[in-house]
Amino acid sequence: MDSRPGDETLLLAVAERDMGAFHTLYERHAGWLAIRLARRCNDRDLVADAIQDTFVAVWQRPQGFRGDGDIAAWLWGIAIRRLVSRLRTRSSVAAVFENARAAPAAEDQVLLSVEYGDIGQALARLSPEMRAVIQAVVLDGLSAREAAQLLHVPVSSVKTRLYRAKAHLRAALAEGPS
Amino acid sequence: MVTASISLRGVGRTFGATRALAGVDLDLKPGVTGLLGPNGAGKTTLLRLLATALPPTQGRVSVLGLDPEVPAERTNIRRQLGYQPQEVGFPRGFTAFAFVDYIALLKEWTEPAARHAEVRRVLDLVGLSDLGAKRIRAMSGGQRRRVALAQALLGSPAVLILDEPTTGVDPEQRVTLRTVLAELARTSIVVLSTHQTEDVAALCERVIVLERGRVRYDGPVTELTGQAAGRVWLADEPDPAAKVSWRTGTGRYRNVGARMRDDVEHVEPSLEDAYLLLRGGSPEHEVAS
Amino acid sequence: MTGWHLDDDTLRSYVERTDSLAEGTSVEQHLLSCEPCRGRVNAAASVIELSVIDLAAVWDRTRDTLEVPRPSVFERLLRVAGLPAHEARLVAVASAFRGVWLVGVAAILAFAALAAAVGHARGLWPFLAVAPIMPCLVVASSYDPWLDSALEPEIVTPYPALRLILLRTIAVLALALPAVLLFGLVVPGETAFAWLLPAVGFVAVVLAASTWVSPLRAAIAVSSIWVGVVWLLAARSGSPDAVLQARTQAGFLALAAASFVIFLLRRRWLCQLRPWR
Repeated sequence: MDSRPGDETLLLAVAERDMGAFHTLYERHAGWLAIRLARRCNDRDLVADAIQDTFVAVWQRPQGFRGDGDIAAWLWGIAIRRLVSRLRTRSSVAAVFENARAAPAAEDQVLLSVEYGDIGQALARLSPEMRAVIQAVVLDGLSAREAAQLLHVPVSSVKTRLYRAKAHLRAALAEGPS
Repeated sequence: MVTASISLRGVGRTFGATRALAGVDLDLKPGVTGLLGPNGAGKTTLLRLLATALPPTQGRVSVLGLDPEVPAERTNIRRQLGYQPQEVGFPRGFTAFAFVDYIALLKEWTEPAARHAEVRRVLDLVGLSDLGAKRIRAMSGGQRRRVALAQALLGSPAVLILDEPTTGVDPEQRVTLRTVLAELARTSIVVLSTHQTEDVAALCERVIVLERGRVRYDGPVTELTGQAAGRVWLADEPDPAAKVSWRTGTGRYRNVGARMRDDVEHVEPSLEDAYLLLRGGSPEHEVAS
Repeated sequence: MTGWHLDDDTLRSYVERTDSLAEGTSVEQHLLSCEPCRGRVNAAASVIELSVIDLAAVWDRTRDTLEVPRPSVFERLLRVAGLPAHEARLVAVASAFRGVWLVGVAAILAFAALAAAVGHARGLWPFLAVAPIMPCLVVASSYDPWLDSALEPEIVTPYPALRLILLRTIAVLALALPAVLLFGLVVPGETAFAWLLPAVGFVAVVLAASTWVSPLRAAIAVSSIWVGVVWLLAARSGSPDAVLQARTQAGFLALAAASFVIFLLRRRWLCQLRPWR
């Protein structure tokens, strides 16, 4: 039997102002959240600040999690928005990390095509800017304005790129595997 | 290094018409001293006197070789003193950390990093390191006692005065408390008052029994316990010849008497037995089996 | 999906960012519902020295943000005014600086000023009755044991009680006096400032009396006497000229000076418990 308390139990303890439970929650989640954030913004200090803001927000409103879905998803929602907030106040551009490879390695294509059909290929054929927009809006669930702040481009650019990216993807998927 | 010491000579304290303490002569050295006595015996008054919160109306007090009547020396005493009062009315809105931090400020911890580290250290000693951010008003009675104890432990003072530190504290925490105090008592003078003879027996080397403002007994715990040797026995019924008797958990009766008897089932005396004997089996003493 | 977990290569390329967007998305989606893999990602990140964020340092900062008390507005004002950080905190912590108190004081003053502005000559009396006693009441409440409920452990600390009380008094006056002055501007005539010296006098009396009795009791006593006197004067004469006379004003100044001297002489009684406690 797993004697470790679950995340939900920890959240209840955090509501009772238990710093020990809060620390455990931090140790479980700060790591992967930081890595995921760092894939959207390669400014280390900004990511560190965003992590701090995230957990402060969790402490201040643990009841924000309504028990629907994974706590991890809830935490990510807070984290990405905190990162966007931090970017808003920064005057310099925080470069968004660009994945080293556009396309999956050959051996992974089989797995991916099982999970996602040909989306992997279709995505690979998009330009980096369009991929970034897809990740921000479609995958991370940001609004156009938040995505604009994250990517440091005007909102109109976000909307344009999103429109074009979706058009490209539809076309690519309609085409079938190349 | 000079050994820490406190001495009282002919100390008395009167409040209007009431005489709370009279003719108290004491010498205290490093170690843990327990203060026993019924309500109204003057325990709190004596502790306040030792903590320089009250001046005596008669006699002289000397703490760490300094005179509390002289303001500059009193300040010096207070630099090396920690005091846990019987009741602390915590101000509204304070968290445990904030309150201990506030007292640390008054204790001249001006540098924030060092002060915060010290606050965390004492909160950890009393087992509240996870509840620093919790409001005191939202805490249980035992937790509040521990906050009051934490502020007294700031700076590992040479003189530690505790007024009923074990009241409302659960058994596990009492064990922790005993460890913390034993550690401190290697070089510091620790004086604590309590109603529980078990705490005195477990923690103190020395015990002072107060009654109506006067010292009835002052000496090693073992010696006081020894006074009841041969005077405690078990029986199936309460023995009329005993001064006090009560029913124990096993269903038999524990009897404590003034005179030694040969024809009974003797048992090892506890501090409580000796205390009851000393007090003359006064009916106001509440006994837990 | 409980049985399926990320293989080591996928995990590694995710953490090292050598994967593609699609792969990364797949990993991230999986992590949202798989605690063991999250643990592996955490562990992998610390092993692979890849632009790692100092999570321990972030934790320390987070904990400090939540545990260490934040300075209040008043405390920050005091710091700006030149008080060292730790003293600003000490002064600000007094009960009188709770928002509710100040709002109550402001309300009473506003009412009195309104009465003065509307009621002309007769209306001046309420203002004259109330304005001088506000500062001493607020000063008393800033260090009275009944309201400052942590008194017993505070008393046996080495911090000089005199300094603390004086600092709190000055801080309170710095707040209260401008407030009363502001309301006084609404009051016609010279009465607007006739209350100043009495106010200072009463504060000094309360300070001195607190070496004998509790500050709040002293302040209430002084206030009651003053209100009684004002009521009598108002009943007998129409205008508050008696108070405005230089003689009376000088009298209050003398009262203030004498009380303050007594306060300084008896200051050793400030830092001990009183029998009435």
